[in-house]
Amino acid sequence: MIREERGAGEQTVEERASGRLAGTAIRDEFGLETLDMNMGPQHPAMHGLLRLILQLDGETVVRCDPVMGYLHRSKEKISENRMYPAVVPITDRIDYMNNIAMEYGYCMAVEDLLEAEIPPRADAIRALLNELGRIMSHIPSIGFLLLELGAFTPILYAFRERERIQDMFEAITGARMMFHYIRIGGVKSDLPEGMPERMWEYVESLEERLNPDFIDLIEGNEIFVARTRNVGKITQEKAVEMGLTGPPLRCTGVSYDVRRDYTYGWYKNLDFNVITDEAGDVEASYRVRIGEVRESIRMIKQILEALPEGEVMADLGRRIRPPEGDGFGRAESARGEYAVHVVSDGSDTPYRVHYRTPCTVNMQLLQEIVPGHYLPDIMPIMGLIDPVSGAWDK
Amino acid sequence: MSLDILNHEPLRFLISFALILFLVLNLAAILTLAERKVSAYIQLRYGPNRVGPRGLLQPAADIFKLFTKENVSPNRADRWIFLAAPIAMFIPAAAVWLVIPFAPEAVVADLNIAIVFFIAITSIGALGVIMAGYGSRSNFSLLGALRGAAQMISYEVPLILSLLGVILLAGSLSLVDIVNAQSGGFWHWYFLPQFPMFVVFYIAGLAEARRVPFDLPEGESEISGGFMVEYSGMTWGLIQASEFASMGLISALHVTLFLGGWQPPVEFLDLGNFDWIWFGLKTALIMFTFQWIRWTVPRLRMDQLMDFGWKILVPICLVWLLVTAGVMLII
Repeated sequence: MIREERGAGEQTVEERASGRLAGTAIRDEFGLETLDMNMGPQHPAMHGLLRLILQLDGETVVRCDPVMGYLHRSKEKISENRMYPAVVPITDRIDYMNNIAMEYGYCMAVEDLLEAEIPPRADAIRALLNELGRIMSHIPSIGFLLLELGAFTPILYAFRERERIQDMFEAITGARMMFHYIRIGGVKSDLPEGMPERMWEYVESLEERLNPDFIDLIEGNEIFVARTRNVGKITQEKAVEMGLTGPPLRCTGVSYDVRRDYTYGWYKNLDFNVITDEAGDVEASYRVRIGEVRESIRMIKQILEALPEGEVMADLGRRIRPPEGDGFGRAESARGEYAVHVVSDGSDTPYRVHYRTPCTVNMQLLQEIVPGHYLPDIMPIMGLIDPVSGAWDK
Repeated sequence: MSLDILNHEPLRFLISFALILFLVLNLAAILTLAERKVSAYIQLRYGPNRVGPRGLLQPAADIFKLFTKENVSPNRADRWIFLAAPIAMFIPAAAVWLVIPFAPEAVVADLNIAIVFFIAITSIGALGVIMAGYGSRSNFSLLGALRGAAQMISYEVPLILSLLGVILLAGSLSLVDIVNAQSGGFWHWYFLPQFPMFVVFYIAGLAEARRVPFDLPEGESEISGGFMVEYSGMTWGLIQASEFASMGLISALHVTLFLGGWQPPVEFLDLGNFDWIWFGLKTALIMFTFQWIRWTVPRLRMDQLMDFGWKILVPICLVWLLVTAGVMLII
């Protein structure tokens, strides 16, 4: 039996993941044993379906093996069997907290393949909704961080904001979550009557509410600071080495943002800052997210001030059949760099689609930085990464 | 029936005990509703409003539901410990109510060592938590139980130390005497001379009642319910009832020791035979602040909890105890 022959340390992650939990290992001269604990996949704080195999020494985590794949829905394989425009609704379901960025990345990849020109109004609307989507994702993620620290109220305030943005999305796209709005060559339809004014009004009111409802409630709280400061500390080198992107990278001080460094769409016309922080802990990631919400509000205002007129859909013909070759699109989703690689063999359906979701990459952090922390620190670290089950499993 | 029957001591005690049990169970039921209504108010929602007028019958519906549910126990659980744990938690939380004076004459047992009784009985509550966690045979429960044991034993120290100042001032261990010593307006209440102790008792009381930010044994986000993760149906209901009862108990003791019990804040507001209204109002106020905190702040971590208890609360108590004793020696 594996249990008897080998100690806990010698088993590979796969062996442990396959359900053969390691036996307890003796830790010190007092003969104290570690405790193996299985957290998830059904667990209130696991952001969906994540299983963590933990080895605990009292409350301290000695070892943490994340096991992914409980929400695998073969997105990449399904994409190969559908015609190009029909893949967009599939991408919607990858990161279900920030769907619009997922559509955006895929459409950019196919447009790269087709070398299509996008009408400026469509570009502006895409950027507009993308930033709105970022607010819609960042504010609940702050709420989730607090929820996992044990404060129940901020999540409800956060969902009030998300609800209002969803109402606007419903008016624009017809759906509350799975929009299918960004299409290859443009967007589905123009903004409805009065929407720019409504959006302006909303972001103004959000700017006012951001301080009393979120920052004042969260930031000054001693317990919040005690629970998040110096928790989940990552160094710049480590973050770059692991290929992190998005707020987990920017909170260590690396200024990297696809919107600026590999600018796309309407972003080249916008003036915005990339928010960074030095500390590289959970509190810093919270500050980065709040800062990004503010930047998004600024960007939305800029776009609304100079919204170009014209068509919203390029004429690409009824049937999209790109030439042989490959297309690449990358977008900054709320969680980091999202990239799509589409390979075409000249037929109606893509030959291969690969989605590089930020969550999958950022999740490496768990294995790296959780050991040494206390068990309850796993929750704020999850809040730092802010993964989405659908995005890491695809 | 003449009231002479009440002079029969054992019978009087039995009737009073039944009344207290009735009161505690009702208090727990009302507190569940209050908890949900207060949280709804804080979170800009309505809260329960379907059962009965304004949702007032919600606790009845909840209890009915709990009674009809199956009581599932884990296969490998230590059955007797598992079943005895909720009772071991509930009985102490209810028993201490026997010594709480609601009004001048309305106290079941005016013990001359009521405070010692309180200290002794509440310690048993920690045992219930350990039994629940150990008997469930689940890693999550075990962690919760260990946390509960560490927390409740550590916070008993500042809790008891903070009582000593009041005992010094009143010169008695009887709760009735302590309340009587605070008569004559709110400036005679002990929360003024004993303000640090007042705060320490409040905080340690939160920890003793396992309320946020000290609800680590439960810790629903990391150990998903902790020691009570395996409980269901009425056994779970009993654990909940004991938590609410101990929350009410801590509030009532807080009022008795520091806020003058049934005494009105100023003389002319004296309600005569209805003094218990003052007691009820003050207790409700303290319980409201408990709930207010519950829905506002996050939870502490185990090491921070221990640091806070031993490095901050205990020294404050000791220093203020010294100050109190010194001042009493001089005056």
